[in-house]
Amino acid sequence: MTTHLDLRDISVSFNGFKALNGLNLSVRKGELRCLIGPNGAGKTTALDIICGKVKPSTGAVTFDGTALQDLEEHEIARAGVGRKFQVPSVFRDLTVAENLEVARARRPGVWANLRWDVRRAGRADIERLAELIGLTEHLERPAAYLSHGQTQWLEIGMLVAQDVELILMDEPTAGMTAQETRKTAELFERLRGKHTLIVVEHDMGFVKAIGDIISVMHMGQLLAEGTAAEVEAHPEVRRAYLGSGGITNA
Amino acid sequence: MTSKTSFPTGLPRLGAQIAPILIVCAIVFALPLVLNNDFLLNKVARYLVLGILTVSLALSWGFGGILNLGQAMSFGIGSYAMAMALKLKTIPVHTGSGGLPDFMVWNNVARLPWFWQPFKSLSFALAAGIIVPALVAAALGWFIFRSRVTGVYVSIITLATMVVLNLVIIDQQSFTGGFNGITDLAQLEIFGFAFDAYGRATFYLVASCVALSLLVAFAFTRTKAGLVVQAIRDHEGRVRYFGYDVAAYQIFVFALSAAIAGLAGMLYTIVMEFASPTFLGVQLSLSVVVWCAVGGRQSLVGAFLGAVLVAGMQGALSESAAFLETWTLVMGALFVLVVLFLPKGLAGLTKSAWRWIVRRRLASQGIARGVGQTREGSA
Ligand SMILES: Nc1ncnc2c1ncn2[C@@H]1O[C@H](COP(=O)(O)OP(=O)(O)OP(=O)(O)O)[C@@H](O)[C@H]1O
Ligand SMILES: [Mg+2]
Repeated sequence: MTTHLDLRDISVSFNGFKALNGLNLSVRKGELRCLIGPNGAGKTTALDIICGKVKPSTGAVTFDGTALQDLEEHEIARAGVGRKFQVPSVFRDLTVAENLEVARARRPGVWANLRWDVRRAGRADIERLAELIGLTEHLERPAAYLSHGQTQWLEIGMLVAQDVELILMDEPTAGMTAQETRKTAELFERLRGKHTLIVVEHDMGFVKAIGDIISVMHMGQLLAEGTAAEVEAHPEVRRAYLGSGGITNA
Repeated sequence: MTSKTSFPTGLPRLGAQIAPILIVCAIVFALPLVLNNDFLLNKVARYLVLGILTVSLALSWGFGGILNLGQAMSFGIGSYAMAMALKLKTIPVHTGSGGLPDFMVWNNVARLPWFWQPFKSLSFALAAGIIVPALVAAALGWFIFRSRVTGVYVSIITLATMVVLNLVIIDQQSFTGGFNGITDLAQLEIFGFAFDAYGRATFYLVASCVALSLLVAFAFTRTKAGLVVQAIRDHEGRVRYFGYDVAAYQIFVFALSAAIAGLAGMLYTIVMEFASPTFLGVQLSLSVVVWCAVGGRQSLVGAFLGAVLVAGMQGALSESAAFLETWTLVMGALFVLVVLFLPKGLAGLTKSAWRWIVRRRLASQGIARGVGQTREGSA
């Protein structure tokens, strides 16, 4: 397996504060990579760089040979990158079905979408998806009425509907009950292999349950990389998490 | 009644959504049977045209989230396009064939300006009244949305653009009729059929355009593109990450809305028998926003009725001069009340009332289960 996504020497500063400081990260095709690190380590910013929300001041992002840093957000999405945000971001006035329909962006142009049959054609897909994320009963309800956990699932479902090669997930289990977290881990097992995933997580139990290789970030840089056991034993990682109650409670 | 079995097509409530449009159109077409007074018919036609204008705003504001405070600019352009064509038709009578429109003669203009030339063709004028507003909106939208201007700044830019055009029209009196507008028009004649402002033909023309605008706007909201536009309204930033070019969708809905407003403007000239800078004035443009909010900006029919009712009320009360002076105040108060207490306007109020009645009835029959599951039941 070759390098699929590659971040080289990425730096970003916000008003002089270096959120990322020479970050290097590569991910292979089909991998499920977990990204961890203390608060403010720059995990969200790293995802922002990949999906184009933030432009790096230096460095390059390559995805299957395409230089992403010069593209606009929608062009990056069309190149095959999907993103779930830390704060669940769905379309609250639209129904669950409509949310999933928007996410099914097979042909994203305006003119291609000036038809009615596009929506009817995807209905079977959407019902299948709703079953996967457990929202069948809620298909015709506005997303505003979903619980927090359901909103998280809806957004994950929207990424599945988008069906892109690379999926970036920012804290998908945040605010979920233990049972919901378990269900989410199952969901991820079904995505594994079909998509390349980068998952930012604080919940070490969840990370151990789903992750192959874990990358640890600290102060805008890559600190360590390896299996859960390797990372936990790493002295610098232990030092980085010092004062925040250790890696397991981060 | 599970939601799955009730909406198997994936396009829920098509019937429920289109029924109000069809009912309103039927009533509009039936009005001449009741109103046996040409003056009244003309007055109502005027309100219907303002209704079309408000539908166009509902499309960009209620569905697209773009509060265009200069919506009357497109209306004005349409109205002038029609007036220019109808003015040129009067030349043989007013100033002799080969002459100029009378106001140009008074202003010592030597030759018909280049931008008047194509309006000798009525077909050109009819097309221009729709296409020019759409193109102007697309160009303006290109600057606004490509540079990701949002929210109140969009409103300021659209309002300012309209004011500039308004001033230019007033200033260029010799070419535009200036402050007086373009008056003394010929009647619109298509295939030898004359549209007298006070005739039934004109009323039915307006009624047909009401139906056309409502159905075109409705059809758009049912397409996938219409859905994406609503998603942009809800959360503009999120839509980009699904691969949609947000600006392209915004420009499209902005231009579509302008095209409908342009159509309304053309009709207004026919009904009023003149075009005036006030048609693209701040007062009218802001009134449209109030009508739209009162009727319910997320409902096409609601916005239409909001305009017809409020403008009609103003018309009915305008007999009393004392009231007319306080009208602006009334409009302002109405707007504040609606914004505070009825964010979805009369359409939202009607919907809630309807839901309440249905639920009461179902409850009394002991089959209320499941109603809360559907979209109507949960709002
Ligand atoms: N738009 C911004 N403006 C200014 N500072 C920012 C901005 N975005 C992020 N930062 C700062 O950059 C640093 C990295 O932030 P980032 O959100 O990437 O951290 P994180 O690893 O995702 O943290 P958390 O675990 O809390 O989500 C933080 O110190 C944050 O305050
Ligand atoms: Mg974060």
